[in-house]
Amino acid sequence: MIRIAWRSLVAHKLRSFLTALAILLGVAMISGTYVFTDQIDRAFDEVFTEAYSGTDVTITRKASFTSQFSQALAGLPESMVDDVRAVDGVGEAYGYIAGQGAIALDGEVVETGGSPTLFFSYVPSEISATSYVDGEPPAQTGDLGISQKFAEDEGLAPGSSVTVITDTGAYDTRVSGVFVFGSESSLGGSVLLNMTFEDGQTWFDMAGRVSEIDVQAAEGVTPDELAARIRAALSEEAEVKTGEQAAADQSAQISEAIGSFLNPVLLSFGGVAVLVGAFTIFNAFTMTVAQRRREFAMLRALGASRRQVLFSVTGEALGVGVVASIAGLFVGLGFAAGINELMKAADVEIPLSGLVMEPRTVVVGLAVGISVALLSALIPAVRATRVPPIAALQEGSSLPPSRYSRLMPYLAVVVAVVGIAGVVNGMYGAGSTTQRLLGIAAGAVLLFVAVAISSKYFVAPVARAVGGWPMALVIVSGLAMVAAAAAVWGLGAGLSVALVGLLWEGAVQVVGIVLGAAGVAFVLWILVQEAREAWGLTRRENLSAARLARGNSMRNPARTAATAAALMVGLGVVVFVAVFAQGLRSSFIDSFDQVVRGDYVITGANFLPLPAETVRRVESVPEVDAAAGIELQQVQVDGNETTRPPLYAADPYTLERVWDFDWIDGDDDVLLELEGGGAVLEQQTADSLGLRVGQGFEVLTAEGTTTDLEVLGIYRDPIMLNGLLVSTAVYDRLYPRRQPFMILASTGGASAATTQAIESALADVPTAQVLTADEYKDDVVGQLNQLLNLFYGLLAMSVIISLFGIVNTLVLSVYERTREIGMLRAIGASRRQIRRSVRYESVITSVIGGLLGIVVGVVFAYIVTTRFGGMGIKFAVPGLQLLVALGVAVVAGVLAAILPARRAARIDILEAIHYE
Amino acid sequence: MDIRPESTAAMQEQLPPGCDAALGADEAVIVARGLGRTYGEGIAAVHALRGVDIDLARGHLTGIMGPSGSGKSTLMHILAGLDEPTEGSVVLDGTEITDLKERALTQLRRDKIGFIFQTFNLLPTLTAEENIRLPLTIAGRKVDEEWVAQLIDTVGLGDRLTHRPSELSGGQQQRVAVARALVGRPAVLFADEPTGNLDSRTGDEVLDLLRRSVEVMGQTIVMVTHDAHAASIADRLLFLQDGRIVHDCAHMDRDEIFEVIKSLEDAR
Repeated sequence: MIRIAWRSLVAHKLRSFLTALAILLGVAMISGTYVFTDQIDRAFDEVFTEAYSGTDVTITRKASFTSQFSQALAGLPESMVDDVRAVDGVGEAYGYIAGQGAIALDGEVVETGGSPTLFFSYVPSEISATSYVDGEPPAQTGDLGISQKFAEDEGLAPGSSVTVITDTGAYDTRVSGVFVFGSESSLGGSVLLNMTFEDGQTWFDMAGRVSEIDVQAAEGVTPDELAARIRAALSEEAEVKTGEQAAADQSAQISEAIGSFLNPVLLSFGGVAVLVGAFTIFNAFTMTVAQRRREFAMLRALGASRRQVLFSVTGEALGVGVVASIAGLFVGLGFAAGINELMKAADVEIPLSGLVMEPRTVVVGLAVGISVALLSALIPAVRATRVPPIAALQEGSSLPPSRYSRLMPYLAVVVAVVGIAGVVNGMYGAGSTTQRLLGIAAGAVLLFVAVAISSKYFVAPVARAVGGWPMALVIVSGLAMVAAAAAVWGLGAGLSVALVGLLWEGAVQVVGIVLGAAGVAFVLWILVQEAREAWGLTRRENLSAARLARGNSMRNPARTAATAAALMVGLGVVVFVAVFAQGLRSSFIDSFDQVVRGDYVITGANFLPLPAETVRRVESVPEVDAAAGIELQQVQVDGNETTRPPLYAADPYTLERVWDFDWIDGDDDVLLELEGGGAVLEQQTADSLGLRVGQGFEVLTAEGTTTDLEVLGIYRDPIMLNGLLVSTAVYDRLYPRRQPFMILASTGGASAATTQAIESALADVPTAQVLTADEYKDDVVGQLNQLLNLFYGLLAMSVIISLFGIVNTLVLSVYERTREIGMLRAIGASRRQIRRSVRYESVITSVIGGLLGIVVGVVFAYIVTTRFGGMGIKFAVPGLQLLVALGVAVVAGVLAAILPARRAARIDILEAIHYE
Repeated sequence: MDIRPESTAAMQEQLPPGCDAALGADEAVIVARGLGRTYGEGIAAVHALRGVDIDLARGHLTGIMGPSGSGKSTLMHILAGLDEPTEGSVVLDGTEITDLKERALTQLRRDKIGFIFQTFNLLPTLTAEENIRLPLTIAGRKVDEEWVAQLIDTVGLGDRLTHRPSELSGGQQQRVAVARALVGRPAVLFADEPTGNLDSRTGDEVLDLLRRSVEVMGQTIVMVTHDAHAASIADRLLFLQDGRIVHDCAHMDRDEIFEVIKSLEDAR
């Protein structure tokens, strides 16, 4: 039986290949995700291990928690360095200043694509991981050491002038030398800079304080021992760690920050791909089992048991699963490399080590691939066992309907109900976030399955509707042909240009022009063909091909449905994301328009906070009526560790002039009372903390300072100020200095002159970005769109997998209909008509999948957005995107049909009509 | 040129009258000259046809008979433009078809040729009537409703027109197939074992229909069969053996045909 399974695999290479491809891509996405995030983890491990390689013990200020928005500002008293030096067993100890800022060259801020620009003061010791390869370390004020990568990227050398910007202001410096960090020329995508200790204290407002103290042990003292001794000698506010521990902690912290977002996102897209693959495999095996009905009957007649038939089919699935999963692991490496490139293209720089294939990746990849293959083939395999031996003597290739087939509608309802229960429980139920998210995911999968089960009932009406307008079908798929041709050409041209660009840069333009001309000619040719045939003399031919296609797609509704279902899942998720994003976009814009009365938004480049004095500078512009700087920190309320809300701070008098509060409890007058030690809370924050107006509470900052506040009012603003708001006076009690992340200015209308005036007032704050309210909205929406494009790119994989599913179905149904196609040709059908009928069938199938996907995606987005209504996300349907999704479905149908249609058209009439 | 093998020539006297006499040369709708068809090469070469010359008159039903492997199917496929001869030429209704390009062949099939297959080969997704109209739909031709009605009437399926092929008996399916083949008013209708999958009663219905289309509509039909009963409706019978025409006879009844077949088998 194993041999039969193997022979069957080998004999049907194309079928096996297409089936395997579905699994392969899913496994590749999953393993690629692991490889990708593992390499980030490892890269950070390496970086921090290197950074602390010379350090035995490190001392920082103890943080009450890790804030999302800033690192500790307060640091340790400078005198503590001497205390540490006095501890027995300390070899060397140095305090240094670290901080984040930006670099401007010729008044232009250097874009880092989200990576930090890190400053740390030079330590003249081997503790330091920096070693200078050119010039000298910073020795006097105004000297700056720069990392090699940065020097190379920006063409800087010792002697170059550079402006340093921190949240205390801008400083002119001169490059004194170029260093490497450990063995690295840079630390991930971040820019590393060295200054003198004194400059550090000035730039980061750290007079009399240090950020961190690094210690090297005297000979014979172990780091652990030394850490214990230092801990005993210092006050509570100091956190003492061994260098090894500090490296591990910092690395873990960063990879968790990245992993907690990237991993679930990437894995869920991988999961979608696997689900789509499962549909494809299920379909492929169902079809082949039906086609091999007589073969199974013959085996049974020869004495094979049902179990043996079962093993023969599942054995084939196992073979496909194993081979495809192993190949998928390798493709996953390429996939990870692909995301690296994607990230680079999106200007997101993350440090990457080499690609690592952890044992966990291999295990998960193989387990998922093989079990999906086996499970998907199980139902078809069981059906194969139900073929009676007598079928060997009968004509036809349809399986007896399953015993349970009449129960299917009920089953669909049950699955749907369970699925909805899962989703609802996930959204409203108890349990950890992970459990609830898993509940939602499982529920969503079940819902998809329920729709897939019942989708065969949609096939006939949709096919009749689509095929009932053969003219429309002809035109639509004609247009899709053009789109597909353009897409294929664009891809090919892009790839060739990229390839040639790698090999031979000078020729790029020539090749590009030639390819461009060829592509335009090709697209035009198809356009002319389509137009001629859609409108010309042979119009009736097309219509008959379209009618044939309609008949074929309704012939086996279950198969068409299963094929369409694969596309449905992929497009369903795409549509869900699109609808959700549309909701997010319009909610943001609505919310902004509602609450922001200012005409200008000033933010820092590279997400940096602005120097505190920027607010005054903006205020000083004559056109500006009011300017409010808004501070952003994270705090802990009453020891509640699960919800640490953002804390916003602004001057109440000016804020009132640029901001419209939607009060639930209170009014604008309470703002004036904020100075006295109160706070106003966003409704959701108040709910989750269980606070009402009049109640008192304690806030704790990451640096350990606390203050008592009273709830003065509650407002609704789920998008912008979604936390608690205090006055700058209260802020000053909690934090050592102001560093607004945003300044809102009202000017009585935006104009080019006003923009100019504000910009020139901020000329020596290069990090300040002056945007009108509309520009700011566009900017935020643009960032959201960038993320969306990443998502769409990942989801494209699922659509491609379902495309292979359609190819597979078409190839098999063409094969089944060989004789029929031969007959059609014998009675006068042209090759082109045969090709077209296959293409139209494909388009009908993909349109069914597209429509179902759109409906499911919109409904799902509706459910989710209504649930998250409290978080301010509205339900908004992006009509254009839905049309595009349907267009993608049609193009997918056209592309999928290329190969099967060619095969169908090449069928030899003579062989076909004698074909059994 | 006497192309017959010696042995059959020797049996000449036992044949029924009318065989191998020069038949009245009416207007020929198919003229084939020196047809040869070889499969494979060298020692493995199989000669399915060796130098066949035929003139088929318009309005006649010609039967092609012969044992399995005699080349009768190959001959029909070549005459119908489904297969290409390795030598020789075929002129069908004034068109030389042996060198036609794909597109012209498709046009030829639409305009001049009708087919009936042993296994009916109706499209399962279409109703009986849609199947009958299929060639017109495919060709994108205007439908002559009067003609279609007349055909449906002749075929005698008035009450089953909206049924799918799976709901029809074999005989009914084949009658639909005959109507489908006739709907385009082909110059020649080729029938490949049209009664091969039918019992004798339903087979008779189909044969009757074919015969009537010759009598009433003046249809030219070429029918390959090895059923002597079916062959008995032919105006003319060609017997093939080893790729050659060994006998060319006028109408014969079933028993006479049997005798010829038997004489061929004996000669092997």
